[in-house]
Amino acid sequence: MRLGSYEVKLERKVRVTGLEATTISLLAILIGLALVGLIFLQAGVNPLSGYRAIFSYAFVNKFGLPLTINRSVFILLCTCAFIVPLRAGLWNIGMAGQLYGGTLAAFGVALAFGAKDPQTPTLAPGIVIALMMLGAILGGALIGSIPGFLKGRFNTNEIVVTMMLNSIGFWLIAFMIKEGGPFMGGGGEGQGFKLSESIFAPMVWGGTFTIPIALGVAALLHFMFAKTTLGYQIKAFGLSPSAAKYSGISPQNVPLLVFVLGGLIAGLAGYHYFAAVPGVYKIPTNYGDFGDLSFYGIICGLISQGNPLAAIPFALLFGGLTNGGRFVQGQLQLGYGIDYALLGVLMITLVVFQFFYRNTIVWKKMEREK
Amino acid sequence: MWEFAARSLNASTVFTIAALGELIGQRSGILNVGIEGVMLFGATVGFIVAKTTGSYLLGCLAAIAIGGLIAALHGFFSITLGGDQVVNGMGIWILGFGLTAYIGYPYTGPLGLERIPGLLGLSPFFFLAFGLVVLTWWMFSKTSLGLRIRSAGENPSVTEVSGINVTRTRYLSVIASGMLMGLGGAIYSLSYNPVWSINFLLGWGFIALALVFFSMWNPFILFGGSILFGTLWQLSLNPQLVLPNVLSRYIWRTVPFVITIAVLVLMSTKWFSSRWGAAKPQALGLPREEE
Repeated sequence: MRLGSYEVKLERKVRVTGLEATTISLLAILIGLALVGLIFLQAGVNPLSGYRAIFSYAFVNKFGLPLTINRSVFILLCTCAFIVPLRAGLWNIGMAGQLYGGTLAAFGVALAFGAKDPQTPTLAPGIVIALMMLGAILGGALIGSIPGFLKGRFNTNEIVVTMMLNSIGFWLIAFMIKEGGPFMGGGGEGQGFKLSESIFAPMVWGGTFTIPIALGVAALLHFMFAKTTLGYQIKAFGLSPSAAKYSGISPQNVPLLVFVLGGLIAGLAGYHYFAAVPGVYKIPTNYGDFGDLSFYGIICGLISQGNPLAAIPFALLFGGLTNGGRFVQGQLQLGYGIDYALLGVLMITLVVFQFFYRNTIVWKKMEREK
Repeated sequence: MWEFAARSLNASTVFTIAALGELIGQRSGILNVGIEGVMLFGATVGFIVAKTTGSYLLGCLAAIAIGGLIAALHGFFSITLGGDQVVNGMGIWILGFGLTAYIGYPYTGPLGLERIPGLLGLSPFFFLAFGLVVLTWWMFSKTSLGLRIRSAGENPSVTEVSGINVTRTRYLSVIASGMLMGLGGAIYSLSYNPVWSINFLLGWGFIALALVFFSMWNPFILFGGSILFGTLWQLSLNPQLVLPNVLSRYIWRTVPFVITIAVLVLMSTKWFSSRWGAAKPQALGLPREEE
């Protein structure tokens, strides 16, 4: 193509350096935010003051910041749950179903050890908390194992299966907490029972102890992909399942393994938000919102190119944006759901920018014609 | 009993039309896993237009237009930019999910128009759906256009060499496919269940996607599958019709999703695919290098 005296050509990229990837990701986010700025304009709000309000609530305000951190930890865990299968070339969009499974198992454990009747504790609170986390991990892993097993054994499309499991998990929670279900709370209609104070998750340095756990999960995954045989096998499978098969990597076990790992981490995300975040400590009526929030894990995983450590700052950013977005829509009389709009627009700009991971635009000055 | 059957057939209409759209796109080699997003756009825009103008016709036309537009976007990402079609489709789905939640929220609630008159409780869309099934079958098996689309999906390079513009054929199919998906969404929000709430499709688009795999890319099997799922969906809403007082109604709501997984597993077994799997378009989902 010619533009003035320049020739513009596309060239395929063989490698993307870390710096390039970061630049592309940041550009994608900036353009996404600019597009959402149009929504602000349409609603009669100056985008700059809109974003200033979002960021100052999300990262400066002393009420907003803890909420941001809790949302970010949730998004980070969902991102890790998405990344592990992604590195094997598989799509886990079932973080919602997996975190519902983990949540149900964790609250099941709490119920089994007398959460509804705190006067008669059966076990030391520390042990109950540990068992609840174990339950969350197993519950998430159980849901995750379904698409993983089916993919490995029958090559069943994992996107459809994980999405179906999201809906199944959604209705299972409804069954448990509504209309006389086993987890129904005493007071408000349609929400789960509240945990007794003794089994609230412990706090470390003013935050929940799930914060260091989430960071640890990201670091462990990074280590796994960078240094271990297992990580190598997953990556090899992701690049070419058939080549991986000939080098002795089981095409049945890898999908199962990555989905179990993903489900396990998503289960932790459920534990984090419903059993560890101060002021929640129950399955709330709007639990579906957190299933929706888990989709930020997809964006965050794609934008960090499947790198769990790179996902940490992006998770913090998205946690802040959704939290601040929720806050300002009331303050600036924006319509409901600005955080949903942001989710959609960011995702699509990211998809467009995927192009630049694969291609470079080359500008060449054309030689003057004689 | 007839009322239940009619309601099931009306539900199946949504699946039929949306899945037919996906089938046409896939036949040309373009996989759109964002069908739920396109349907959400069609349903929401159709709902808003019908509610503000009071005209069902305008609502449907708007849904068809936005469906075509969004699918064209998917086509641009997948055909022109040549990206991973699954990533692009996911983008379309999340865009639809996020943006329609924002756009539609002020219109939350019932449509408030007189219901579209039907025949014996069947909405006119059901007959339209059947007509489209026959038309699609006829196009693919009897016309040169159908042959062109199918060959673009089987072996694009050979198709290109034999003088057919693959890019144009694929764009055409993808846009037509999006129009049908948009219409399918609008049938849900205007006729089947005319009440808007956030993310009200709850996975119908993904069931429609699975239906295309079930159908072995055959419009008539797709029609049968849609009726099966429409009936299952209706049963899950009214379990008292078969098994009164067994299981909570929330558990019944999971049934269509469980069955989707079960059927999908059956379809992907070696036993099944060695008999029927040959119908899958060879180049489905593969990015194409421009020569």
